[in-house]
Amino acid sequence: MSFSFGFFWESLADLAPYALVNLQLGAIAFVLAVTCGTLLTIVRSFKIAPVNMVIGVFISFVRGTPLIIQIFLCFYALPSAGIDMGPMTAGIVAIALNSAVFISELQRGSLRALAVGQLEAATALGLSPLLIWAKVILPQLFRRIVPMLLNEATIVVKGTALLSIITVVELLRAAQQIGAADFRPFEPLVGAALYFLVINLVLATATERVERKIAAERR
Amino acid sequence: MTQPALAAKDLSLAFGDHWAVDRVSLTIARGEVVALVGPSGCGKSSLLRCLTRLEPPQRGTIAIDGEPFGRVGEGGALQSRRTIDRMRPKIGMVFQDLNLWPHLSAIGNVMRPQRVVLGRTEEEARTRAEALLARLRISELAHKRPAQLSGGQRQRVAIARALAMDPALMLFDEPTSALDAELIGEVLALLKELASTGMTMLVVTHEIGFARHVADRLVFMDGGRIIAAGPPSDIIERENHPRVRAFFNTMLAFRTPD
Amino acid sequence: MGFDPNVVLDYWPQFLEGAALTVRIVAVALVGGLILAAIITAASFVRFAPLKALIMVYLAVVRGIPFIIIVFLVHYGMPFAGIRLPALTTGTIALTLFASAYYAEVLRATGLALPQGQWDSARAVGMSPGEAVRHVIVPQILRPSLPPLTNYTMTMTKESSVLSAITVGELTYQGLVVQGNTFAPFEVFFVVAGIYWIIPALIARATLALERKLGMEENAPGTLSPLARRYLVLDRRER
Repeated sequence: MSFSFGFFWESLADLAPYALVNLQLGAIAFVLAVTCGTLLTIVRSFKIAPVNMVIGVFISFVRGTPLIIQIFLCFYALPSAGIDMGPMTAGIVAIALNSAVFISELQRGSLRALAVGQLEAATALGLSPLLIWAKVILPQLFRRIVPMLLNEATIVVKGTALLSIITVVELLRAAQQIGAADFRPFEPLVGAALYFLVINLVLATATERVERKIAAERR
Repeated sequence: MTQPALAAKDLSLAFGDHWAVDRVSLTIARGEVVALVGPSGCGKSSLLRCLTRLEPPQRGTIAIDGEPFGRVGEGGALQSRRTIDRMRPKIGMVFQDLNLWPHLSAIGNVMRPQRVVLGRTEEEARTRAEALLARLRISELAHKRPAQLSGGQRQRVAIARALAMDPALMLFDEPTSALDAELIGEVLALLKELASTGMTMLVVTHEIGFARHVADRLVFMDGGRIIAAGPPSDIIERENHPRVRAFFNTMLAFRTPD
Repeated sequence: MGFDPNVVLDYWPQFLEGAALTVRIVAVALVGGLILAAIITAASFVRFAPLKALIMVYLAVVRGIPFIIIVFLVHYGMPFAGIRLPALTTGTIALTLFASAYYAEVLRATGLALPQGQWDSARAVGMSPGEAVRHVIVPQILRPSLPPLTNYTMTMTKESSVLSAITVGELTYQGLVVQGNTFAPFEVFFVVAGIYWIIPALIARATLALERKLGMEENAPGTLSPLARRYLVLDRRER
């Protein structure tokens, strides 16, 4: 058996629309993740002991268990609690929650590096905590973590491939279907891999550009 | 007559089409102290890297104590990599940044090359290391890590490490540049002391006072070439070459007491 | 919705079997990945452009595509090389390749952070490249590499769950099987998640002990002003 380039190009063409599916799923999940993650960070800063303890357990769980299991829990287990989501929604929620936790941890790490002097100035000026968060902390935080956020975005997009297991028809599943139809599984898989690679490269280039811009601004 | 400690002929090193070292010939006799002086970018550091073959020269030959190092004669065959590696420590190099190994203690830094490269036993290496540390008056620092040492102390460790390999000559790359101003005098005194024991030395330096009082010969480099060489006072005061003149006029204008 | 512990208790042997296989696969991928990563890292520092390009491409590809696709590619790609291997083998190979790329990234980064002068001084004193690497470079790379290496090992452990997609009988697969039998997804996946949860915790404990043995300082929050602590520290425990 040898690699059929003809079939490979065919598959590439057939898979194109599905690449968009992953991009869309990833985009939605990522936006959700950033929002939830930031909210999570703000809530954690209130330092209400019981709340933070629960959050702590949740974070430990999400970080310590495989994403696929979290996806299974959202898709298979939640219905028995009355929350019935279609595979796509369940998948997006699972990926978003997962990423939100990591984003919150990223923000937590970056918070340390923030200049304390600014906080002192802001408080001295009489700004309310809410304003301090909105105007002083968050903007700086995001500037610092943008490269890491982009990295997280690539992880989110890669995560969307797992949704194939819960029957979402995205790149990987489409590739499997094409492969099954012709009994040649390999070529479409390479095609799917290529699409993911391209998406990753685009995000990586964007990251580099942002990093350079930040480095220039620093001066 | 004994062989010179170092005999370099027609050394040339290019980076792309720029000749960092351009047909440099240099002979250093046993016990001689040579100061290598020149403006930034003149090729001093490149020459040092050439001499130790950390950067193999495109042309030229080097002989250490009469033994060919690198190539056997001009255009001759290249020695085996192992031969070259094992000969390299015959030139004891003390880097500007010292480059001590942070994961080893001071005495560890001095012992490890002896054991790995020279194959000395643990005991032999330790005896030699302790003797050198004592001679450099840092015996009590033997078990400290480089991070725990001052700049001057670290430099002594670096010198001990190079000396432990029984080199034919010692190469110092700007020994005073990495130090605080107060320590410069201390270092120069140390170098003077080492020189007085008969050590063959090639010192890249900006310290004109040192060149004048300690060095037997001053070699001036510019644009990858040696453009003047001779007794230090002659060169510093009487050399007519415009580049040399310009350099020393500037240096002497800002002179620190010799 | 109740939590029926019987599910867990009845199928305990399956879970254990799955967990055992997961640990075995991860162990192999860990060792194999490290060895491969060491080779890749060393090769990446050789001044030979085609080799370096090849390595960079390998690292970009393995880190750029989802692990599940790597698994499928290895599994369905084998027939092209004329070999038909069992899923367990192809899955382990895929995980090893995955680990090697991430480990190599860590080793390269630590290696690049090392000043060139360390290499120079080792060569200047007469060491061969091999001796320089062994006595000067590697000791300085090991310690700082340990935290990110551990981090990626935990990632790899979680990714091993994906091997269930090619029917390797590890922990997730057993979970799916039990779920198929009991139709109690919540209990099953919760327990499975729990077992996955314990493994990194155990690794973290082990690493902490290792770090202490190597004498590494822990990153303490240090002293912060009350104002800073109010905004910048999220855990009340940290002082």
